[in-house]
Amino acid sequence: MITNGNSSSNDPDFICDPVIVVHGGAWKIPSDIHEHSALGVRDAAVTGHRVLKNGGSCIDAVVKAVEALEDNPYFDAGHGSVLNEAGEVEMHALVMRGDTCDMGGCLCIKHVKNPVKAARLILDESHHCLLSGEAALTLARQHGLEERPLEYFITDESRKEMKDYKNYSASIHELFDSQDGHDTVGAVALDCHGNLACATSTGGINAQKVGRISDSPIGGSGGFADNNSIAVSTTGHGESIMKVNLARMISMYVEHGMSPQQATMKSLNHMKARVGGSGGAISVDGSGRVGVHFTTQNMSWARVGGKFQNETTYSNDCVQFGTDCTNFRTEKI
Amino acid sequence: MTNNVNDSSNNSDFICEPVILVQGGARTIAKAFLEKSALGVRDATLDGYRVLKNGGSCIDAVVKAVQALEDNPYFNAGHGSVINEAGEVEMHALVMRGDTCDMGGCLCVKHVKNPVKAARLILDESDYCLLSAEATLQVARQHGLEERPLEYFITDVSRQKKKNYEDSRSIQKDFDKRGEHDTVGAVALDCLGNLACATSTGGRNVPMVGRVSDSSICGSGGFADNNSVAVSTTGDGEAIMKVNLARMISMYVEQGMSPQQATIKSLNHMKARVGGKGGAISVDGSGRVGVHFTTQNMSWARIGGKFQNETTYSNDCVQFGTDCTNIRTEKI
Repeated sequence: MITNGNSSSNDPDFICDPVIVVHGGAWKIPSDIHEHSALGVRDAAVTGHRVLKNGGSCIDAVVKAVEALEDNPYFDAGHGSVLNEAGEVEMHALVMRGDTCDMGGCLCIKHVKNPVKAARLILDESHHCLLSGEAALTLARQHGLEERPLEYFITDESRKEMKDYKNYSASIHELFDSQDGHDTVGAVALDCHGNLACATSTGGINAQKVGRISDSPIGGSGGFADNNSIAVSTTGHGESIMKVNLARMISMYVEHGMSPQQATMKSLNHMKARVGGSGGAISVDGSGRVGVHFTTQNMSWARVGGKFQNETTYSNDCVQFGTDCTNFRTEKI
Repeated sequence: MTNNVNDSSNNSDFICEPVILVQGGARTIAKAFLEKSALGVRDATLDGYRVLKNGGSCIDAVVKAVQALEDNPYFNAGHGSVINEAGEVEMHALVMRGDTCDMGGCLCVKHVKNPVKAARLILDESDYCLLSAEATLQVARQHGLEERPLEYFITDVSRQKKKNYEDSRSIQKDFDKRGEHDTVGAVALDCLGNLACATSTGGRNVPMVGRVSDSSICGSGGFADNNSVAVSTTGDGEAIMKVNLARMISMYVEQGMSPQQATIKSLNHMKARVGGKGGAISVDGSGRVGVHFTTQNMSWARIGGKFQNETTYSNDCVQFGTDCTNIRTEKI
């Protein structure tokens, strides 16, 4: 673990400066929501970082960040989820902790305002890793998670997408193959105790079949976390991500000595070559090295702290954010 | 691909001798079930091999083999599945093909006599990789898959197992208890050099309603890529998911390990990292096979292929057993 001379915590267990990276989906972001996407991930990263800065856990931080994106209508998760074939919303989420490799995933869940919190419950309160819709909903209700009617989740944007891309195949082609597409949200974090965690949440792909399960709640596909390697959250064409187990690939390359950035690039290139799928991923390892890469036209992303390959110092007093590889901004927190 | 001089096919596309491996679950097998388990996997392997020998695809072969185990009440899949907390049966299955890395998975399925056939449908007939229970049932019904009432799936053994569990009220300890059933699976290399895997289960004893098994999840319950290996896993499902056992094994093979080395390393990692026991079978494009388990037993069988220290294929007999030492070989 690398320590920064400007330690921000008086915690005797303090090991390292925390890092948080957030993404809002790999797709071709329409020009009218570029700014909303960029600011959305920026705010989510700042929200998550606030938790870390106060000595909070990586798990709390990623859940908080993803919750913010679920509440933001400009992202395909929670409020703003895309519609399935039946005109309803089915959501999926995952939370994984790197200290024990324990995970909680919920799939095809309805009504719950913040699916990432349902995933967190499965992680904390059950012996299981993955629960289907009704089982997840039952658990959510036992713990009093907030619910909303269908109308809450559906936005003008998701209605428009349904109208524009009426069927699933068209959605895939337009939204991912041509580097377009509405997508998943996620976060990864390294806390001051040196623990890693990830969280991913989605409403899936426009016009998907009722009961189609996204990669997002699946450990190894939608996300992965192991203190011995890395925390990852992925986004993009879900079926492709599942076919190659994108998150686990990235983690295994890091286990074998690659940096998060190298591992992410290699894995995404493999996904494109092997199964023709486009996507993106964010990651952070125990040393604070971060990875951000995508093979779609855009991916909204933001980070506080950590370092990219060529950087030499941490930058934990500002948030860096953007929607592509070149136009990114830095603001003081 | 290694060519065996005793080529069994006149197919002009013939590349290699086919291989099939089958597993009937990693656990402690009660004495009363040892023989039935051994014979069950042996027979399933023969079924699958018959498909391969006639030039059939690896996908057809693994589905055939797993179907045989689903129909066999001594295995925790299909007929013989464990009973969940609500007294019902929810089944999970996966089929993956190594040429395209395409897959079909179904979870929490009810009524369908052979969940592996439902998984195959999702692979062949849909744009998706994984479907929930109702969506799977819809696809299954559209294609006329056979259904059975609940009573078909429940056996005296699964009833007894539920009772044992309720009496003991334990979870992790349960896994090594005698009489514990588990997953079934198969991997195959066909004569065209393609790899495939299939896995099927009724879940862990006694699952919560809606608990999703690793067996339907690509990278956990199974994985297949012609560039590396076809794997089917079994054991502590949550542990398998936490480490993505099948994908780990495949990545170690990609990096140059043999299937057997990769399997041993991955299972040891699973034990050390998350405290879970299990087993896996695998085969790569050269016909090298892997069979390893960290539980007391795993019923397994194979035809063709070669273990690390072997030098020739043995495709005229079936090798099978329930542990590492008492292995039988019978001429086909």
